Amino acid sequence: MNDSKHLLTDVDMARFLVSGYHVVELELPAGLNEKIAGKLDALTANPGDAITEAVPELWKVVEHPQVRGALISLLGEDYGVNSHRHWHCKLPGSGDMQWHQDGTNNRGTTIDRLLGLYYPHTITAEMGPTVIVPGTQFRNAPTDRMATYSNIRGQVPLTVQAGTFAITHYDLWHGTASNRSGVKRHMIKFLFNRTSENRTPSWNHDPAALNRERDWDARDRAQDAVNILSFGNPLGVSQSDHYKERIIRHACWEELMGNQE
Amino acid sequence: MDAQCQPRQRLLYLHARTPSVFSEILGYTLIEPVKGFEIEISGGEFEWPYGTVHDAVVDGWQIVQFPHLQSPFSDTELDVVGYEFILQKMEVIP
Repeated sequence: MNDSKHLLTDVDMARFLVSGYHVVELELPAGLNEKIAGKLDALTANPGDAITEAVPELWKVVEHPQVRGALISLLGEDYGVNSHRHWHCKLPGSGDMQWHQDGTNNRGTTIDRLLGLYYPHTITAEMGPTVIVPGTQFRNAPTDRMATYSNIRGQVPLTVQAGTFAITHYDLWHGTASNRSGVKRHMIKFLFNRTSENRTPSWNHDPAALNRERDWDARDRAQDAVNILSFGNPLGVSQSDHYKERIIRHACWEELMGNQE
Repeated sequence: MDAQCQPRQRLLYLHARTPSVFSEILGYTLIEPVKGFEIEISGGEFEWPYGTVHDAVVDGWQIVQFPHLQSPFSDTELDVVGYEFILQKMEVIP
């Protein structure tokens, strides 16, 4: 399989379960990012789901082996590309977009849906980057209840290089900063779905990776899957919340391993 | 009396790790009583003015609403981040 060398590791998977995102810097053909950005700059109306017809080069991004490797790891070999996609063009001078989760509040505790955010040009802090809050993906929180937050501990602005493809859990809290620059900020959002449950791990799994003892000294500095899953706490939440999210992570990990109850 | 000379309510929403005023702040929103004021997510590094709710109280903010703890508690579900304190300062805004 062409994508096999791009499958995620156990550590990558554990980090995704803890933080809810994975960033891939794509090795795209020379000039592709620029070509896509140029076509987007020239669009005068948003074609909605038909953005891939207006800019067919986007398929070279979505079907890139690095993207496929990460998606197979997270959603299984037979994952689906949802027909919904959207070009988010943030114009110079436009304000921020407040925190939200997409869709309705019926959150799962599995990895069944992912967002893919592609940036064809380099994004600076002034250009209105997408901002995500690692560790919020398992929270069943009405978007209305987020209206009194502006900045949240551990938030990550996706100030990224051209050709970056950020994969996030569908339920990860996200928003955007204001665009204070003089240029349009482009991001194309894709959706991906799981179509079947895992019977075996779909990533580059090493059974030995799970033979680690809990390291109470390393905690948040842990570099192995077992301890990342146990101690990761990117938001710095309370003990009660941390214990709950740890239980959810381990249940999710077991599902991904194919160990359904 | 000129409305500009009247004290106006500055609001501060702080989301603390626990209901204790001494626990670390996880969320921060300042709302100034100025026409057209908008809150904003930072696109860069955000500098946290206070580490705890207590730090804000020491700086003169008054708590006008404590976190609601009467709502049902789930031992399995996760919802919003932190416990919300609302604070105010009444000040003349130049």
